[in-house]
Order: sequence, then structure tokens, then C-alpha cells
Amino acid sequence: MPYSFPLGPYHPALEEPFKVKVQCRGEVIDSATVEVGFSFRGIELLAQKRNWVEVITLIERVCGICSNTHAMTFCMAAETIAGIEIPKRAAHIRTIIAELERLHSHLLWAGVGAEDIGFHSLFMEVFSLRELVMDTLEAISGNRVNYGMNCIGGVHRDIPDPMRYLPALDALSKGLAEIVIPTFTENPTALARTRGVGRLSREQAVEWAVVGPVARASGLDIDVRKDQPYLSYAALGFESVTRPEGDVLARVVVRALEMVESIRLIREALLSLPAGPLRATEGLPEIPVGEATIRTEAPRGEAFYYVASEGGATPARVKIRTPSFVNIPAIEAMVTGQPLADLSIIQASVDPCISCTDR
Amino acid sequence: MAMLKTILGNLLRPSRTRAPADMPDVPTVYRGALAHDAARCTACGTCAFVCAPKAISFTQDPGVSVSWHFFIGQCSFCGLCAQNCPTQAISLDAEVPTGMNSAAGDGLRLESIVRLQPCTRCGAAHVPLPDAAIAALWGVEEAERGYCPDCRRWAASARLRSAFIPAAAEEVHHER
Ligand code: SF4
Ligand code: SF4
Repeated sequence: MPYSFPLGPYHPALEEPFKVKVQCRGEVIDSATVEVGFSFRGIELLAQKRNWVEVITLIERVCGICSNTHAMTFCMAAETIAGIEIPKRAAHIRTIIAELERLHSHLLWAGVGAEDIGFHSLFMEVFSLRELVMDTLEAISGNRVNYGMNCIGGVHRDIPDPMRYLPALDALSKGLAEIVIPTFTENPTALARTRGVGRLSREQAVEWAVVGPVARASGLDIDVRKDQPYLSYAALGFESVTRPEGDVLARVVVRALEMVESIRLIREALLSLPAGPLRATEGLPEIPVGEATIRTEAPRGEAFYYVASEGGATPARVKIRTPSFVNIPAIEAMVTGQPLADLSIIQASVDPCISCTDR
Repeated sequence: MAMLKTILGNLLRPSRTRAPADMPDVPTVYRGALAHDAARCTACGTCAFVCAPKAISFTQDPGVSVSWHFFIGQCSFCGLCAQNCPTQAISLDAEVPTGMNSAAGDGLRLESIVRLQPCTRCGAAHVPLPDAAIAALWGVEEAERGYCPDCRRWAASARLRSAFIPAAAEEVHHER
């Protein structure tokens, strides 16, 4: 007897509200429909009512996890309109914060993923590693979330003593190499819940237009840091990570190896931090008439911003397309034919961020 | 096996939950409790301009004072007010901010009253500039210290004119 079953919007697996309505036949999922929009805040409209300084504070709150990505991408768009080139040191600092943010986001995900498959000891280990990243971010920016580092024309805060953060990076690489990666890839409990689960083939990945680690785990080698290098990625030599399998395990592995690459990027950026000013402009920004589209690689994939200016005190339009917005619908393709019990880890494997989807 | 080894290793190690003494130092860039120094404030409004959640506002008692208001329930501790204040009247210190309730409810409210002063030349009430700002902008010309912005402009143009036509400047001086 087929039956339908609503999961959410108060979600057993995630802290944010979204709903998956599944049609089941016994234990097996026939089809699923995803609904989002339970925490819509109208940030795009609000952004048209705030001046160019205030709007950065607002945009930073699009997402609680990748707050820096959004503020940074918005600033890059405004800089493109105004024709401002940020100083080399500012570009390096933005890269460091962006990669630290990716580390903290991926570690958060790995912890939540471990929790979803009932692996609490792994969750604890992952989150204790994540504290290293959070402490580093706090020491640099003053805050654990919403770092407030970006301004139009550069960054607000310096990294005066880059060498200070290297020991934390070493401890992090050690923790990843000795505990997190081996446990996810060798532990029979973890493998039983992830291998072959929630497959998304390469063709389906193209069809559903997924981005970020979800696409790279299905063999699509797309990454804005490589395809259209921005900030200091070209100078630091970025290499993307892909896996052909397209299952939950592949997504775990892609994120784990990306963390290793992020640590390398951060270390190199810290060691090669160029001297120079932090901002290209002084005082409050003035943005001339114009428009710009900017893509950056957020932890969950490509973030896209369209910003238009009519030369006034506020932006004329800010269009935000977040990576989760395109990744979440692909859950429908992943769960079809899977047991109901795997629904929560399959959803979690997309790393859905409802905050930015409902921005 | 990696997990088993880790768990056994953890049994032999002390707890990883941090005691207050092991907490990382409060970073120097931490943005905590907000303080405002009325003696430095010129009521220019820059802080309110950059404050996205509108935690800062002004009220006026015309001719007497301008009040600077801050409500902690709306503050997001972005630090932009402190960074953009031209006279460094605002600071976000290392102390933890006091309790924050809902954005609409009660919580810490600060009010600083910036008293207006009569201009020593024309008598118009104006916000006095901090001494340091006066010294930097106009030098320490004693007579001009208590001038309102209009009279300062007048004095500046009079100085400029007297540099070219000394007599004309004299005349203007008597006219007023
Ligand atoms: S606190 Fe600073 S920015 Fe705000 S009104 Fe006073 S002088 Fe201007
Ligand atoms: S810290 Fe930010 S939110 Fe708080 S009063 Fe200052 S500008 Fe406004």
C-alpha cells in the first residue's frame, strides 16, 4: 500500500525548516517533493533600502555559516561596478577567511552527517576539530560568526602575525588525516550507511544543475576557484577534487579532500601574505551607475550575485542565487528508490542551507 | 579501527571540555560592550548612517541639546559605528555586552546628551567640536574656538579676503 509521509518542516535531521513529502511503497521511497520558503526574510528587497555600508552588514546575515562568502561576493560586485581593484594583501586576507569558512562549514557538515548516521563519537571528534577553526577565525576577526571583515575596497582587519595560526592548521591536518578521513572511509558502520546510498549520476547532476561538492562528487569538475579564479586563487594554485561515484560516500570524500586542500591554501596564503594597505579607498563608498555579476565558490558551491547601482545611496537591485537553492531540489532525484531510513542522511549529504535558500 | 583507537586514547586523556581558565584569550579585535563618549561626539550622524539595524538614533531639544541613543537589542556588534566615527567617540570594548533581550523588548539603552553652546560671535546654538578636532582643523586660533560653523566659515573667508585686500576685510568685520 503506497502512503505519503511528510518530513518537516520541523526537521528531525537539520536545525532549519524545510519539508520533504515522500511517497513510499513499504520501506522504499517512490518519489519526493521538496518545499522550501518557511523562513523567508526578504533580504533582497531590504537590500534596496539600505545604503552601501549598511547593506554589507545585512548581506552578511544571508547565511549563518557562510556569512563571509556573501558579504565578500557583494563587495566584489560593488568593486566591479566602481572599478576598484583591492590591494594584494586584502585579497590574501579575504582568501584566508573564505577558506577558513569552508573548513568550518565542511567540518560542521561532517559532524551533522556523522550524527545523522548515529555515529556520535565521530560527531564529537569532528566538532572538537572545528573548534580549532572557530578559534582561529575569532582571533583574526573578533567573532566566531559574522566576521565583519569585508568592506567595499578591501578588508577591515589585518592579520598582523600570520605565523601564529600555523600550529592550529597542523593540528587540524593531523586530526583530519588520522581520525576524520579514515573513519568515514574505512569504518564499516560509516561505510554501511553511505556507500551506494543516494546516488546522483553524472547525467542527473547535469540535469538538476547541481553545483559545488554535490556536482564534484558526481564527476562534474566545476569549481569557480579553478574555472574563473578570483582573489588569490590563481597565485596560490588551486586544485579541485572530484569523485565519479555520486553517492553519499563520494560527497563525504570530496568535502574531506577539499578540507585538506583548504588547509594547504590557507597555509600558503599565510606564508606569502604580501605587505601593503588593507583598503583601496578611504571613507564611505560611492558607487557609480552600473551593474555587475559575480560568481564565487561558497562552501556549498557557486554563489551568484547580481548587483545594480543607479548611483544613489542604496543599491538598485541585489539578486542572490545561493548554491543550496539549486542543490536542494536534487534531493528528489537522490532519494527515489532508497529506503526511508536513508532519507535523512541523503538530505544531509547535500548540505542544505535553508537560511540562504530562503534569504 | 581508527575510531576505537581514538576512543581508547581519549579515555587516557584529560577532559577536552574547556574550563574557564583554558578558554582562548579574548582577541584584541573582539567587538563587545559599546561605549560612547559624549565629550567627543559632534552629533555628525555618521554612526547612525552606517548602522544597518538602526540601533543608533538621535533626538533633539532644539537650542539646548542633541541626544545620542543606543539600544542594545538592535545592535549586531558589527563595529562599523566605531570604525567610521570621525572623532573616535564610540568604542566596542573587550567586555561582554550586558544582557540582550528581544529587539522590541527591554535591554540596555544608552543616552548621551551633547549640549549645544552659544556661538561666541553670533550666539547661535551649535554642537561644540572636540578640542582635538578644532586644533587639527583650524589651528588654535583662540577667538574662533567658540564659533558656530557659519561663523567659522565667515572667519575663514574673511582671512582669505584680508590676504588679498586688507581694507575690504576690515569693512566686512564692522558690518556684522
Ligand atoms: S558618535 Fe561619532 S559618528 Fe556618531 S554622531 Fe558622534 S561623532 Fe558622529
Ligand atoms: S556595532 Fe554595528 S549594529 Fe551596533 S550600533 Fe554600531 S553600527 Fe550599529
